[in-house]
Amino acid sequence: MKEIMAFIRSNKVNATKTALAEGGFPAFSCRKCLGRGKKSIDPELLNLVIAVGELPLDASGESLTEAIRLVPKRMFIVIVDDEKVKDAVDIIIETNQTGHQGDGKIFVLPIFESYRVRDGSSTTDAY
Amino acid sequence: MLMVRAIIRPEKVGVVMTELAEAGFPAITKMDVFGRGKQRGIRVDDFYYDEIPKEMLLIFCSDEDKDTLVKIILRTARTGDGNYGDGRVFISPVEEAYTVSTGKAGL
Repeated sequence: MKEIMAFIRSNKVNATKTALAEGGFPAFSCRKCLGRGKKSIDPELLNLVIAVGELPLDASGESLTEAIRLVPKRMFIVIVDDEKVKDAVDIIIETNQTGHQGDGKIFVLPIFESYRVRDGSSTTDAY
Repeated sequence: MLMVRAIIRPEKVGVVMTELAEAGFPAITKMDVFGRGKQRGIRVDDFYYDEIPKEMLLIFCSDEDKDTLVKIILRTARTGDGNYGDGRVFISPVEEAYTVSTGKAGL
C-alpha cells in the first residue's frame, strides 16, 4: 500500500476530487497548508533593481523583500494499492497541470499497515 | 529520498525557515498542529494543557542532504539547553516524487 501526498493549488481541489472519484479513488483526505517551492529570485529582476535603485511596485518586488513569504496550498492524501499508484498519480497530474510553476508536487510514501477503526480489520481488507 | 517532518515551536518557524533557505533548502510546507509530548503537555497547578499549538514543517530531501538539514533544524529550533517543548524531528522514506507542472519524476 502507498500513500500519495500531493500539494496542489487550492482552486483545483474540486476538479481533483471529481477526477479521482471517476478514476476509482473515492477516499481521500485534504487539509490546508502553507508552503514555498524551489523558485528562487530571478537574477534579471535583481539586476534591474540594482540598476534602477528601487523595488518594482508589484508582487515580484514584494517577493524580494519578504524572505519567508508562503503560498497557501492544499495537501491531498490518497491511500492506494501498489499497482494503482501510477493511475492515481497520472490523474492528479492531468487535472492539476497548467504548465506554470506552483502547480505542486506529488510524493509517494510507503504504508506498512492499515486498520479500520470500525471493526479492527487490518491491512489489505481494511483499505 | 526522505521526508523530514519537524514539529517545532511556532515562534521558531521564521528562524528555521530563513536558515534553511540560506542553506539551499527553499522548498518547504508548513501547517498548524496541536499536540502533546512525553511530558503530557504543560502542567499548571492541577491542570494539564495537553493540546499545545505547534507548527509542522514538511521538507523533502535527498538521502545525502538529510544530515545537514536535520542539523540546521536542531540548531535553530532549540531554545536553550534542553527545554521541554522544543519539538521533534521525524524522518520517513519517500519512494517517488513528481512535479505537477512538468509531469517529471524526481525532486
